[in-house]
Parts: sequence; structure tokens; C-alpha cells
Amino acid sequence: MELVTTTADTTTRAHRANHLGRTRVIALMMIVIGLFSGWIFGLGSPTRARSSLTFNPVNLSASAPWHVGTLTVSTRSWVLALAIVMVALGVEVFWREPRRGVMARFGAVAVLFLVALLLWAVRTPGPSPVSFVNVTAVLIGASAYAMVLIFGSLSGVMCERSGVVNIAIEGQYIVGAFLGTIFASTTHNFFYAAIAGGIAGGLLGLLLAFLAVRYLSDQIIVGVVIVTMVSGLSSYLNLQVFTPYPNLNTGNLAPNLPIPLLTKIPVLGPVFFDQSGFFYLMIVLVAVVSFALFKTRYGLHVRAVGEHPEAASTVGINVARVRYRNVVLGGVIAGVGGVAFMASQGQFQPGYTSGLGYIALAAMIFGRWRPSGAVVASIIFGLSVYLAYNLQTYQVPLSTYILQMFPYLITILVVSGLVGRVRAPAADGIPYHRE
Amino acid sequence: MSSPDVSTTPDPTIASSSPPATRRTARRWRGWWSRWSSASPVSVTIFALVLGFAVGALIIITTTPTVLDAWRGLFHGWDGPGRALKVSFDTVGAAYRTMFVGSVVDPASLWHSITTGRGWSATLTPLSETFTYAPPLIIASIGVGIGFQTGLFNIGANGQAVLGGIAGAVVGSMIHVPTIVHLPLTLLAGLVGGALAGAVPGVLKAYTGAHEVIVTIMFNYVVYAFLMYVVLSTPFQQPGQQNDIGRTILPSATLAPLFGTASGLRVSYSIVVAAAVVIFAWWFLDRSSMGFEFRVTGLNPTAARASGISARRVTVLVLVLSGALCGLAGITQAASFQQQLNGGFLIGNAGIGFTAITVALLGRNRPMGIVWSSLLFSALGVGGRVMQASTGIPLDLATVIQSVIVLFVATPVLVKEIFRLRAAHVTRVQLATQGWNS
Repeated sequence: MELVTTTADTTTRAHRANHLGRTRVIALMMIVIGLFSGWIFGLGSPTRARSSLTFNPVNLSASAPWHVGTLTVSTRSWVLALAIVMVALGVEVFWREPRRGVMARFGAVAVLFLVALLLWAVRTPGPSPVSFVNVTAVLIGASAYAMVLIFGSLSGVMCERSGVVNIAIEGQYIVGAFLGTIFASTTHNFFYAAIAGGIAGGLLGLLLAFLAVRYLSDQIIVGVVIVTMVSGLSSYLNLQVFTPYPNLNTGNLAPNLPIPLLTKIPVLGPVFFDQSGFFYLMIVLVAVVSFALFKTRYGLHVRAVGEHPEAASTVGINVARVRYRNVVLGGVIAGVGGVAFMASQGQFQPGYTSGLGYIALAAMIFGRWRPSGAVVASIIFGLSVYLAYNLQTYQVPLSTYILQMFPYLITILVVSGLVGRVRAPAADGIPYHRE
Repeated sequence: MSSPDVSTTPDPTIASSSPPATRRTARRWRGWWSRWSSASPVSVTIFALVLGFAVGALIIITTTPTVLDAWRGLFHGWDGPGRALKVSFDTVGAAYRTMFVGSVVDPASLWHSITTGRGWSATLTPLSETFTYAPPLIIASIGVGIGFQTGLFNIGANGQAVLGGIAGAVVGSMIHVPTIVHLPLTLLAGLVGGALAGAVPGVLKAYTGAHEVIVTIMFNYVVYAFLMYVVLSTPFQQPGQQNDIGRTILPSATLAPLFGTASGLRVSYSIVVAAAVVIFAWWFLDRSSMGFEFRVTGLNPTAARASGISARRVTVLVLVLSGALCGLAGITQAASFQQQLNGGFLIGNAGIGFTAITVALLGRNRPMGIVWSSLLFSALGVGGRVMQASTGIPLDLATVIQSVIVLFVATPVLVKEIFRLRAAHVTRVQLATQGWNS
């Protein structure tokens, strides 16, 4: 009964939302971002300034790709061109108010903004001693963060499609990274690390499911408290275990497994085919989760439970079992994501996931609770996280700390632009209690 | 909040006739027992505390090297099991004893003070420490609790406290006016800073519908980065410092020790600030019409909208008020005993904003409940520091115990099942937060 009122309520509000012209607010935001980039990055650089883009990976290993030349462009004209594209996209959205694809355009503007920022950062003559952007290196760096975010947002998709809000992704990252580093340091084998991290994440998922499904508790509160507990436990164990036994936390990185021949493709090769096993696992998982959720009987059951558990129960689906299974599987995925984070960032430190779990949650929302959307969103967020932490190498005249705000600000902007435009599974976050 | 135990157990004193005294006593005992064994909020809370400390003990046993060594010697002799148990028991006992001694009172020292009349300062120091850390926690938790009562989950309490601390510390360290003006101005700046940090998610939630949970979490990280920026840039960084340390708050803007600096006790006038906030919160939630609107919105948003309460206005006001209180908590902490901001101000598990969430949940969002649970969690934190110093068991254990307690409080049915409490009735599904679609 409650559920029905909620859904009806939501649809009316969504309708009203569209009439309030939120689309136009987003469009204005896009135009402002475009004008800002054009003004600061474009007109702010002298006409004779040039930016160089290189495409060869930094460390030319045996599997190095065929060499590609350097592309040198006029900073001002290129940035202005990008700004024009951004403004044009904004104007188009403002004018036509399309019902679909607004957020995709917004994402495109965000990426173009980051490209313009990079071009401006490396302009010569300019303040930066680094006179080029290594496009491949940027993409490889961003792919590490994007990979972790994809694991997390897939976990979110799994849980929320079955009607359980998994806000504990951050906690699952932490346990994954924690156990991952222990197993990777002792066995020197990231396969075992992934299994251990997955099991730990799955156990946290089981705890969440136990409290949320069986005991009908408030999922968001329980999730947040689980994260607090796990982060407290991790810094407790960091002092209690890693300080006396530092060889349990050596922080070696996962080796890359280059795929022969394919790595030779310029730019794409090193980014997609010269990665650690976690990256390939992530790609497989995206495919498996999309297929399972949208093409199989199992997925139909999951989505039915997430949308309307009463109806699902009436046709004989065991709601509790579906939710348990999905939340545990989601926990496993996020736990492996934590191992992947550790395997790409090194030594475990308390608090070093710094809110990535919540960004993954936002990426899932941005991706409309779909694996494919989550991938696109994670790439944008991953790029912005990477740039926030690494733009300082280009000596951008901005404080590191101001730059570090960017991914979070982008997340806030994106989440506020989305509402009324995307709809969560109807029973998401509502405990199901069979009378 | 009405307590269901009253309705479930007939009061034994209102017996119809006057039965013999023994039967009356028996009935009173039974009434007492049934009140305890029924799942009242009080008994659930107490059992949750028991479970929290039990889990803490388990963690100590399974992670402390000396205890593990004792268990490894389990089969090395006839006294193996006994010794292992004894070492476990002693370690846990020592940890919890130092926690108690460090946060409440050391019985030996108390006896010494009573018999000789000297050393009261040392005897009262642990209690004073607990009351030093409690006021900011009380203020922030009341802020979070007001959010919960309105159905809004303010996870951004920590960011709001940090921003309030920054604003207050800037005013408190860079303006030179007499105390009578300076101190209120500093506290006001803290309020305004926190209110600004709360207004961002509030306005976004009201006008775009962005879920406050994500926005407030993200805003926390924005504020942390801003803190690092502020304490490392020219006007606010302590002159002559290269590190991330802000200017010292001037004496005219500090909350002075309650018993004077000579007493050696750090407990300060922040207690007065906290008391004022508690009274305000009680008045606001129970007596004011705006507080009534807030609570109606929290209990039944549909009914609130039907009776003409503007959801937008309430959303913005709640998060502004909640943020303002958290900001006040931040500046209270900075002005009472830290006196200086550094890059790590309130960051990490020490952040009062995160503890405030657990405190508010444990205190069931009511002002007096929050006072008691703040004192408890502040004692856990203070005692945890002493425990870390004397037994080497990390302070973060306190955070774990707090979260476990709150997990159980948030899941009363589980506590009922573990302790086989009589459930008064089948629990209804009542959510404090709203899903993404709201």
C-alpha cells in the first residue's frame, strides 16, 4: 500500500520537475562552463602559445606500440573551438529541451572542459615546465580510477536493481583493499588477493542484507554505519597488525598482462590491452552483469523484485532470496574493486579510498542503474579524479587543494542535474515485509 | 517519543484490591522483570551496549599479539587453555579498565582524595576530559538529530563542523575586539559557516531534488580540501609557519576553562554553550511551530504537504539549521581546547560529524537522549586515548564499538531475538531516510 503511494507520488513529482525547466538549468550550466573555458583557457593564453600532445606511452617496453608523432596545436584556437562546441551543446539543449540524452551531452561538456584545461595547462610559452600532454598516460592513469569506480557502480547496480540501497560500497572497498594487501604481500599472487577481497566484500554485503532484508532496518543508515565501522576497524588493524608486521603490507602493484599484438595499436593498445588482470576482469564483469540483468530469467526476477516486490512475491519469486543473493554478489564485486584499487595504488593506508565508494554510487545513478551507463559515468568521474590528483605535475597555477575539490564538485553538479530525469527502481531502499 | 513499554505492562501498583504484602512484592518484581524483558527502547539500548562491548572484546582477543601467542600455546601444556583464557580475560579487562579509569574516575585516586583531601585535580581530570569532549559532540548530534526527525540524513555534519570551525577561527584569530563582543562574534561566525555548508545541500535538495546523502558526503571532501587550502595560504596560516597550521585563536575569543586555568582541568564554558543548545532544541522541537512542521514532515511527508507545509522551505531550513549547529560544534571545539586549526582538524575517525550520526541514532534524536549518548561516546573516545597510551590497543577500537552499538540500536528486532526479549508487537517498517526517488 505504502509502495503504491510512493510510486504515484514520484511520477507526479517527476512530471512537475520537467515543467520547472530543470533541463534549462543544466543547459545554462553547460553554457557557463563553455564560456568559462573559452574565456580563461582560450583567451587567457597568448595567440602564439602552442600545446603539444604526445601519444607514446611513457615507458617504452618490449610491447611498445608503433610510434606516433607529436601533435602540436595552437592553444588558443583549439580551446576556443572546444568552447564553441560546449556552448553549442548547451544552446541546443536550452533550445530544444530534448527528453533524452541531456546528461550524455552534459558528460561530453565535462570531458571537453577537462581537455581544454589540459591544453591550457601545457601551453608553451607558459608557466609549466612540462610542455606536452601525454594523452596515453592520462588515459592509462584515468583508467585505473575508472576501473575501480566501475567495480563499485556495478555492485550498486546489482544491489539496487533488487531493491537494496548499497551505500556501503566504500566499506567494501576498504575491506577489499585491506585483505587484498595482506594476501598480495604474503602470496605475491593477486588472484588469491582478489578472492580474499571478494569474500570479505561479500561478507559485508551479507551483513547488509541480513540487517536490511531480514530485520527490515533502514538501509542507508545501516550502510553508513557499516562504513564507519569498517573504516574504524581498518585503522585499528593498521596500527595493531601492519605496524608490527610491515611485511603484510608491502604494497606491490599488480603486474600488467599485455595481450600480444593488440597492445601495438597506438593509444588504444596500451590503454585497453596492457593492463592488469583486474581491468580485463572488470570488462568481463560489465558484460556478464548487463547480460544477466537484462537478458536472462534471473535478471527479470531481480528487476521485478526491485520494482514491485509484492507482485514478484505473488508470482512465486522469493523476494528475500533474490535480495540476499544480489547484495552478497554486489559486495563481492565491490570487494574485488577494493583489491583492484590497492593493486593500482599500492600500500594500504586508512582512509585512502577517500570517498571513491560514494562517487561510484553517484556514477551508478548517473548511469541510470544500468551497467553501460555506469561505465560511461565512471570514465568521466575517473578522468576527473585522476586529473585532480595529477594536474599539479603540470604546475597549474591553482592550489592542489582547489583542484582536489573538482571531482566532488562535479559529482554534486551531476547528481543535482539528474533528479527527475532518472528514476531509481521503485522499491529501492524500501524493506519488504510479507504480511 | 512515547515509550511502548508503558502500554504493554500493566502497572502493578494499580492493583484492584489490596492483596497480601508478599504477593504484592512478587507482582512488583514480575512487573519489573516484564518491563526489562520486553523490548522497550531502553532495554534494547542497554543490550546493544552490552553487545557492542562484547564485540569490542572479541576484536581485542583476536588481534592483540600477546593474546594470540597465549592461544597458540593452547596445546603446549596442561595449563594451556587456562592460561589462554586468563590472558584474554586480563587483556580485555585491562583495556576496558583503563578506558573507565581514563574517562570517569580512578577509584584508588578517588579514595586517596577523599581520605587526604588532596589531589582532587588529578582525580577529577578524567571526568573533566569527558566533559571537555562532550559539548561539541552534543551540539553536532542535536544538529544531525533535527535532520533525522525531519527525514533528512545529514552525513555532511563533519564538513559543516569544519567550515564552521574555519569561519569561527578566522574571526577569532584575526579581529581584535574585547571578549564581550569577540566571543559571541566568533561563535556566530561558526554558526554562519556551518549554515552555509548546510545551505548548499538544502537548496540543491529543495530545488533540484539532489539526494542529500550524496551531496553532503561530497561536500565533506570539498570542505576538507578547502581547509587544507586555507591553513596553507597567506592570511590565515600562522605567520612564520610552513606547515598546515592556522592562526591561534585569540584569548578574547576562547571558551575559558570553567574552573580557571590554575585548576588544571580543561572542562570549559563550552558546557554552557551545549546546555543552551539542548534547551533550544527541546524548545524548538517540542514547543515551536516551525519545529512542529519539521516533525510532521519527518513523520509523514504526504500529510505535511496536504496540510500546507512547504516541503521546500522545510528542507532548506532543516539543513541550514542542522548545518549551523554542526558549525557551532566545530567552533566550540576549536575555541575551547584546540585553539588552532590544522590540516587534520576533525578529519578521519576523530571527526565529530561522524560520531554525531551515531550519537543521534543512539539517543533516538531526542535532546536528552543525545546528551547521555554524547557523554558515553565522549567517554569512549577519551578513555580510548588512555587505553592506547597504557595498553597499546589502538584508540580506533572506540569507533568500532560505537558503530556496533548503533548497528544494533538501528536493528532492534535483532537485539530482541538475541536476548529473547518479548516483542511488544510486530515491528512496522519505519524509515528515517528516504530513497533516491523522494
